[in-house]
Amino acid sequence: MSRVRYFGRRILLSIPVLVLGGTFTFLVFRFSPVDPAAAIVGTAATEEGVAEYNRVRAELGLSQPVLDHYWAYMLDLFTLNLGQSWVVSQGTPVTDLLNTYGLRTLWLTFWAVLIPIFVGIPLGVYAGLHANTKVDYAVSVFGIVWRAMPNFWLAIILLAVLSQSKSILGFDWSGFIVDTALIGTPDLTNLTTVDGFLEATKRILPPAIVLGSASMGSELRIARTAVLETINADYVENAKANGVPDRRVVWKHVLRNALVPLVPTVTNEAFLLIGGSVIVEVVFGIHGIGWLFFQAALNADMPLVTALVFVFIVVVVGINILQDVLYALIDPRVGYDAR
Amino acid sequence: MAGHTHSTDDRTRDEQPHARDDRPLRSRVAETPRPAAIWLLGAAALLAVELGDIAGAVRSLGGMAVGAVAFSYSGTLSVAGSGGTVGLLALVGVVLGFFVGGLAIATWTRIRVLHRVTDRFSYRTRQLLDGVVLGAAVALATWLGVTIGAVDVLVAAGGVVRSLLGVVADLPTLTARETIPNRGYQTPDGTWHGTFMSLAPAYAWAVRVVVVYGYVAAVLAWTWMGYLWYRAHYRRVDWTPRDDVVRRLRSHRWGQFGMVVTFLFLTLAIFAPSLATTTAQQNLYEPFSHSITHYDANTDSVRETLVGSANLQTQSEGYASANFGPMSYDQYDRFHPAGTLTNGKDLWTFLAYGARVSLVIGLLSIGVSAILATVFSLFSAYYRGLVDLVLVVVGDTIMGVPRLLMLILLTVILSDTWIAGLYNGGILLALILAGTGWPFLWRSFRGPTLQIAEEEWVDAARSYGQSATGIMRLHMLPYLVGYLLIYSSLILGGVILAVAGLSFLGFGITAPTPEWGRAVNLGREYVASASWHISLIPGVMITLVVMGFNAMGDALRDAVDPKSDDGNAATTEADARGGGA
Amino acid sequence: MTDPLLSVESLRTTFHTDQEVVRAVDGASFSVAPTETLGIVGESGSGKSVTARSVLGLVEEPGRVHPDSSIRYHDPAFVQRTARAHPDATFWGGDVDNEPDDAFVTVHEGEQSGENAVVKRGSVDLVSAPDAVVQQVRGSEIAMVSQDALSSLNPVYTVGNQIEELLGIHRGLSGREATETAEELLRNVGIPDPERRLREYPHQFSGGMQQRAVIALALACDPSVLVCDEPTTALDVTIQAQVLDLLARLKREQDLSVVFITHDIGVIAQVADSVAVMYAGEVVERAPVERLFDVPKHPYTRGLLRSIPGVATTGDRLPTIEGSVPTPSEAATSCRFAPRCPEAFDACHEVHPDAVRVAGEEEPAERDAPPAENGTQSRENGKPPAADAAPGLPTANGEHTAACLLYPATLSTGERVERHDGDDRSNRAPPSRTDASGAAGSGVSE
Repeated sequence: MSRVRYFGRRILLSIPVLVLGGTFTFLVFRFSPVDPAAAIVGTAATEEGVAEYNRVRAELGLSQPVLDHYWAYMLDLFTLNLGQSWVVSQGTPVTDLLNTYGLRTLWLTFWAVLIPIFVGIPLGVYAGLHANTKVDYAVSVFGIVWRAMPNFWLAIILLAVLSQSKSILGFDWSGFIVDTALIGTPDLTNLTTVDGFLEATKRILPPAIVLGSASMGSELRIARTAVLETINADYVENAKANGVPDRRVVWKHVLRNALVPLVPTVTNEAFLLIGGSVIVEVVFGIHGIGWLFFQAALNADMPLVTALVFVFIVVVVGINILQDVLYALIDPRVGYDAR
Repeated sequence: MAGHTHSTDDRTRDEQPHARDDRPLRSRVAETPRPAAIWLLGAAALLAVELGDIAGAVRSLGGMAVGAVAFSYSGTLSVAGSGGTVGLLALVGVVLGFFVGGLAIATWTRIRVLHRVTDRFSYRTRQLLDGVVLGAAVALATWLGVTIGAVDVLVAAGGVVRSLLGVVADLPTLTARETIPNRGYQTPDGTWHGTFMSLAPAYAWAVRVVVVYGYVAAVLAWTWMGYLWYRAHYRRVDWTPRDDVVRRLRSHRWGQFGMVVTFLFLTLAIFAPSLATTTAQQNLYEPFSHSITHYDANTDSVRETLVGSANLQTQSEGYASANFGPMSYDQYDRFHPAGTLTNGKDLWTFLAYGARVSLVIGLLSIGVSAILATVFSLFSAYYRGLVDLVLVVVGDTIMGVPRLLMLILLTVILSDTWIAGLYNGGILLALILAGTGWPFLWRSFRGPTLQIAEEEWVDAARSYGQSATGIMRLHMLPYLVGYLLIYSSLILGGVILAVAGLSFLGFGITAPTPEWGRAVNLGREYVASASWHISLIPGVMITLVVMGFNAMGDALRDAVDPKSDDGNAATTEADARGGGA
Repeated sequence: MTDPLLSVESLRTTFHTDQEVVRAVDGASFSVAPTETLGIVGESGSGKSVTARSVLGLVEEPGRVHPDSSIRYHDPAFVQRTARAHPDATFWGGDVDNEPDDAFVTVHEGEQSGENAVVKRGSVDLVSAPDAVVQQVRGSEIAMVSQDALSSLNPVYTVGNQIEELLGIHRGLSGREATETAEELLRNVGIPDPERRLREYPHQFSGGMQQRAVIALALACDPSVLVCDEPTTALDVTIQAQVLDLLARLKREQDLSVVFITHDIGVIAQVADSVAVMYAGEVVERAPVERLFDVPKHPYTRGLLRSIPGVATTGDRLPTIEGSVPTPSEAATSCRFAPRCPEAFDACHEVHPDAVRVAGEEEPAERDAPPAENGTQSRENGKPPAADAAPGLPTANGEHTAACLLYPATLSTGERVERHDGDDRSNRAPPSRTDASGAAGSGVSE
């Protein structure tokens, strides 16, 4: 089947996933043991309380028959009319929240994806090219440990180290290059200025390193394996036999092929970051989407929670499709039935 | 057994005819009885030493099983009877459950007799009916049993068995903490009272730790010897593919690290009551219902204090005068190998029992996942078409939601239900993890089970005299089991991470059930202070255990199939990392 | 008698793994003359592929080519270039045996004048030459065509990209010129519509086309020798015939020498001018192709020929040689084929045979030739050695040798055994460049 048809099929298959995901959030909203309206209104048994409760129920659609509610709910979801938050930030439309909080999470995940790519992959490639040397062992162990360390633990350790950086590391992290606080949301309004950019980057680096730690370990390992496999491939030997100099063999033939298994790895890691960002944001006090979700769950702000879950599902589906696109770009064999 | 050559050479192995001894096991054993006798003696000795514990464990497990049956029966009755949409849904759920269960049994039976079905396409709907009929039969039987009061009979029978076991359970065992007690007090003249051989508690505890680990190591070593002897003397053939797997495992150094760590962890979890310095009941769960004797220097007498009060005096709060670090004694002569928590409880006991919690959750979730995955893959492979498509979509959706978020969401929603009460949220977590984890396993099982249903393949098998079930048993099952083992070891690491992460956030296991993540959270503020041990030690342990399980999984994967092209590598990554914790 | 283009002598390549030492090639000697096709035939495990890779210097850890081996490339232009670039490493003596240790270029005929040295006859030893020199041989002088064409091609680059890469390295072409030359190459190997094909990826080619593309790649380097390692094994018979025809044509058009490695002795009959039969890392028989098929001498060769379907005329079972090729891990102290040889006798299990000249039975018995140098062939009876033959070089022209205790057939058994045994003992390699781990051909088991 041609590549176009291949994509078409992928995109087509995403739709039932979205529908099912939306249905799931609906079920959670409508049938969960936690009463969304009760969470919003509280449990006052007074007359106004009860009236308020009923009013909220009607507004949330809970008093409608199930099927009508379902239909309206799904329609809203797919037109991205995500409602508003009722508890955490009462009255604010979800889309507004997404904008403010989402930007911060984006900044965090951007760096959490970038750092492993630019640190982990080169290290892994180097280890693969010099397999079974001491450096290789050191790098491999480093990758394994980094990958096994729990995010939340690494976060608090890093925070502790940086807060005592003077005594442990010898220099004061807070004042390094630009003055920043350790905890709290970075200010993203001045990204276009040098100072603003530096400050925002410096503040996001520790949490980004934590969030990307496991990714780094993983990508390092996969890069190493990929390089090892490609180095022993027939076409590499053939190129060498035909006189291609070693340097070019590595840069042109080995690396390009080693890249192929890395693409799904990187995208899968990106997908894992969504879950991990909750922990990092909570520990570092960054008010991003993960933190928002955490707060919403804590406070049983069901409209917000279900809306966010659906958003996450959409993002994941998007990443999956992106992964397929990238993979097809990297590997010309994709989409062709070898048989 | 004469006449076989041990060939360590892979290449020539396939060319030499394998020595094969077709006599029944009994006669083979009778020929060289000595190794078997020695091994059985040793096994009996090892068993006898721990008989009490084993009986006790069987007893409590059986009790739990019986209790679960009784509880679910009464629970479903009450929920279904409560009416309304929820009741209706529950009833529908029960009926669906019976249908699916019956269908699973029917499909399994059908596949086993597949080779007798020649044109099964016309039988498809009939098979779906099979499920209905079988499900109905199961439901009918249950209803009958219930009305007759079979559940009560079951409970009664269970009780009888339990009391019988109780007698055995009271036998003294080697590894029990009572055999080598470490709790005592010291009088001013320096002698210790109440501890094992009057050693200081630290040493007594160390002795017990050595005994426990030594025992487990001895059991493992003895089992290994038994396997080797069996292979050398009693096995029917002189080589099977498993031998290669074992050989590869033996030389895999990274895997050996993993095995050592796994061994340490599993022993810690299983023998937690013996390896901890005090019992969980005493220190963690009901500190105000137990008391300890200690020597009070102030009044120069031996006193009894409530454990709870003692704990209040031994809190680690970050500064030197209020801190009990690792390997220290407190003023009540209690030994703390890992220090105390912010609430004064012993950290090591907390960690030991926490290991147990993690293990139970992990095993439970994997078990349920495996069952779901197997059943669904059978459906997928046999009915294909729409059923397969539906499963694919459902599986993709489940895989699509970030796991940690799902965990948080579902934990919050279901936090007030009765399930959340079990094991302080542990069972709930295990079920949620299983519910989000089965698609990965199912995806891997789907391939081989699809192969089973291929008619041509079955014909080919028949053409050279092999039955379909025979091939399933010989080739599919080992592959599936192998993959299950690999998957389990990777996933256990991920489960521990996920549960720890969740507990860290405050969602997972609630107090007072111990969990490593919660310990990290408790010590969060004090990492840079004198009480760094509260966060650091659990974190290091988590890292080591996860590394160990990953190493085991890698080693198993390399051993079972060194050239395996794991198409699911990326997705198992997600699971192995606990969804991002 | 002219110099060969490529001569291999006592090639030993061993692999040191954790479990064992594998002597994949254990004393192989052969040579290829200009525009000649040498066929190397043998079963799997006989060391054929390792030989090819050793020639190109592609053997890497844990494999090693023993420094006492010699792989000499005799192209005068190349020798001249190398001599000019490495005057200190050039030996102008003419006698290969006296070559000093640090010299890897030997000139037999030429003028030594420093940077303007002229070489008319000489050779470069690729085993002792530095990697930079061997790098220059790869592709430009000796190119390789491998068995699995699809995996020989990089899957993520277009075929055109890969051809043009080689054109750039070896012929200095780029851009439009390179593309046109690449098209020409593809057309020359019989791939239709080359413009389109250049822009396609390897997996879009059919099996036969892939093999042609790999041949095109090799030719892009403009080599003098083409080493083909089982190029047609993976193809079906009709495609195989086409590829063989292609190779024959190209060889004619471009004056190539070809080393054709295969296990299919039928193919050998079709393409080779002379044949070397390998078994367990050794060359057991060498002959011009007609002689080999006419009067095969070594029992192994005879077994191979008997097992060609269609040749066997009696019985309903195809005659096979029982057993399989051993993987040698120790130096040879006996004939390696003896366990499977239908004609083996006692001495075969104790004495390692050397390659000796085998005349036809009807030729007059040869009297004792002076002891052969270094275990190679003795010279023809009565005839003085060709005047300008470089001493000690295994020559390819028309000689038929076999390493078997049955030969020379004119001697008695005892004399033969002594001949092989004695030669063996007196043929310790001169203690040049030996390392402590045992000299070549010492016959001492480890």
